[in-house]
Amino acid sequence: MNKSFSMLKRFAFTLLSLIILPLLSRANNNIQALFEQGNRLYSSSKYKEAAAAYRQILEQEFQSPEVYFNLGNAYYKAGEIPYAILYYEKARKLAPADEDINLNLRIANLKTADKIEPVPEFFLGRWWQNIFTSLSVNTWAALGVLFVLLASGLLILYRFSLKVGVKKASFFSSIVFFVAGSIAVSFAAVQLNYFNKHQQAIVFSGAVSGKSEPQLSSKTLFVIHSGTKVQLLEKESNWLKIRLANGNEGWINLADVKEI
Amino acid sequence: MQIRYLIISFLILVFTGVHAQGLKLTATASSSQVPTGEQFEVAFSINGEGDRFMPPSFSAFQVLSGPNVSSSTTIINGDFSASNSYSYILMPVKEGNYTIKSASIVSGGKLLKSNTLKITVVKGKPAPRAGASDNQGDNQLPSQQKLPKNTELLFLKARVDKTNVYAGEQISLDYKLYTLVSLVGNELDKLPELNGFWSQDINKNRQSTDWKTEVYNGHQYNSAAIKETILFPQRSGKLIIDPLAMTFVARQPVASNDIFDQYFGSFEEVKHRLKSKPITINVKPLPSAGKPRNFSGAVGKFSIAGYIDKGEIKANEAINYTFKVSGDGNINLLGKLDLNFPKDFDKYDPKITDSLTETVNGISGTRTYTYLLIPRHEGNYTLDPVSFTYFNPSAGKYVGLKTKAFSLKVNKGEVGANATVLPGEQEDVELLSKDISYIKTRDLTVYKKGEGFYNSVWFYLLLCAGPLAAAGAFSYKNRAETFNSDPVKVKSRRAVKIASKHMAAAQKQLGANNTKAFYDEVFKGLYTYLSDKLNLPYSQLDKDIIAGKLRSKAIDEPLVVQLLETLNQCEMARFAPVSSRLETQVLNQSKSIITGIEQKL
Repeated sequence: MNKSFSMLKRFAFTLLSLIILPLLSRANNNIQALFEQGNRLYSSSKYKEAAAAYRQILEQEFQSPEVYFNLGNAYYKAGEIPYAILYYEKARKLAPADEDINLNLRIANLKTADKIEPVPEFFLGRWWQNIFTSLSVNTWAALGVLFVLLASGLLILYRFSLKVGVKKASFFSSIVFFVAGSIAVSFAAVQLNYFNKHQQAIVFSGAVSGKSEPQLSSKTLFVIHSGTKVQLLEKESNWLKIRLANGNEGWINLADVKEI
Repeated sequence: MQIRYLIISFLILVFTGVHAQGLKLTATASSSQVPTGEQFEVAFSINGEGDRFMPPSFSAFQVLSGPNVSSSTTIINGDFSASNSYSYILMPVKEGNYTIKSASIVSGGKLLKSNTLKITVVKGKPAPRAGASDNQGDNQLPSQQKLPKNTELLFLKARVDKTNVYAGEQISLDYKLYTLVSLVGNELDKLPELNGFWSQDINKNRQSTDWKTEVYNGHQYNSAAIKETILFPQRSGKLIIDPLAMTFVARQPVASNDIFDQYFGSFEEVKHRLKSKPITINVKPLPSAGKPRNFSGAVGKFSIAGYIDKGEIKANEAINYTFKVSGDGNINLLGKLDLNFPKDFDKYDPKITDSLTETVNGISGTRTYTYLLIPRHEGNYTLDPVSFTYFNPSAGKYVGLKTKAFSLKVNKGEVGANATVLPGEQEDVELLSKDISYIKTRDLTVYKKGEGFYNSVWFYLLLCAGPLAAAGAFSYKNRAETFNSDPVKVKSRRAVKIASKHMAAAQKQLGANNTKAFYDEVFKGLYTYLSDKLNLPYSQLDKDIIAGKLRSKAIDEPLVVQLLETLNQCEMARFAPVSSRLETQVLNQSKSIITGIEQKL
């Protein structure tokens, strides 16, 4: 099951890179050159300079899981763990199933001050989340398009074929592919919706007090430290209502976090 | 005594008259103010010889000894001078002012009188008891050593070379005995506990005490080291070095009334309980700044060396890796070293050999760690450099040292020598340490923000393309099927095609000048066309029926007439040949008839 799934994934990626991404990738020479320059600087251990090169790509309003990942690595090596976590998280948003990204994110999280036990989630919810985040939004979309195209082709074959066996096989497989295609497309939509609803942020200030109300004078409920990931719930002028992985909620200052 | 007096009298007689002039009897006291119980001396001296000395009465004093007569003769440049003195050791009994009256002596027939002495007696300390253990009995000292008060006869002194140290820095501590008297015995009461220190005694096995002369507080003492120790503070803070307590038995001279004893000395044995003063050591903690993780606790000054005994071996053979730490400091307190050997080497706990010298200046020497390693698999290995960090207290910072890395070539071992490895035993690939994955260098996918594939125009176009294509294909197929479902209509649609085929064949026959066949083809062409088009079986194909059908379908009358004419011509020509000029006309005519009917139907 797993193997076939990973094969499917690889197939989807190949398709994505062969058919669809050339339409999207506007990796012009300038971007490619900056990327390679960053990689060279990184390999000669000039992490700060490498980070600057990667940032130049991002400043042109581009996004790329590879650039985010490499930038996270550069920040990690330069010792700026909160930044490393921020960019790993950004990379993970674009490529949720990438094992390198997840590994590095786990390692970087070990270096943060706060160890927060996440609230145990209902296993079905966790499975559901794992499933729809196992591929990126774009991959799901591409898969969906591919399945729908295949299903349409099979339907046409069914209509035109004269042999009963071919007709039967193509009809049922067409239904299967239609279902699969709509599932893939809806997963893309669900994932996008999930990320939009679950806006997360990384704490950048050394120590941040979680207040009970959006006021400085209110009670301090907890203190979190830089590098910790929080979920954004609400915004009120300069205050953000956040939720920690362990379920605690509180208000913190807008300037203390950077949104993923 | 009598003999002494005779000699003196003789001498006096001999020199009588030589210096009879200026004779004087002088009385002197060793001090004019004396506390009760203290001895003092009163002396009467005459610068010549005298006779019949008469002392005054010492009623207010106790005469401890005297008269002690002494005489001296000096010859300077041939001039004789002689003096005699009569001295008394007195002790006042009560305080008050006393006058010692004149003494008299007869010299050269004259009576000489001395001056009087005024003595003030003050209240003194009670007379010391013999055998007291305190050290303040001045009067018990031998007369040749006049010591001021509070000078100690013997004492213990603890001494350290420094009092402000880092934790683990070595301190040299010694306890010394200083004495002015000779000792006949000693007994250890209490050894210092030295809490908070790790201590190492040096010169423990010394047989004889090494006496030295040392001047302390202006007195010459005999000194000897009792105990010498090297200390290593184990924790920071104020640590106190406890006193050492000992009891000594001293042989001390005592004063005696007996003049004989005064000459040869009178001694008694006195016990002295001595205690050294405690010393406070201020121990600073090792700085945490720059403290490396693998800090082994070494404090001092060290150097390291590492080597392996072989550079190339076979698998399952043993090599020795030796690591040496040498220098001054707490070398014997070094813990286990954290050495990283290749994972699949069998390694054993190191053999630790110390060669240390302990002197007053501290502990120095070498500690040797010998590791026995057995590589189990062939290959080229690198023994990582061993890093060793110590704290240099004089510089106040950490110093890191590193040995060389060694490369080790392990060849394939002998078959069968693998006895220690069980067959089929597999090793887990152990994750030695965690580090982040390397950056991605290939397959850069980059796109503008908000321009992902999902929700893009292309996405919707491609998503709709499939169903639209399917729908198109379906409708096409459906239309094609309904189109072909009625055989009459199909026939009628195919009529022109078949007719034109016949016409083409007719054209061919015309070219071959085969008139009969030509008319056959044209006739067949027209008839099959009409049969298909009008849905009439061949059996019913009759000119009148055809004409009726065509008229009922509102075909123009001229066209029907023309058709009938052409059909007639064809029928006729099939049996009677006609000129070739007509044939082309017939062909064109039938073609135009078909086109005409086609346009109408």
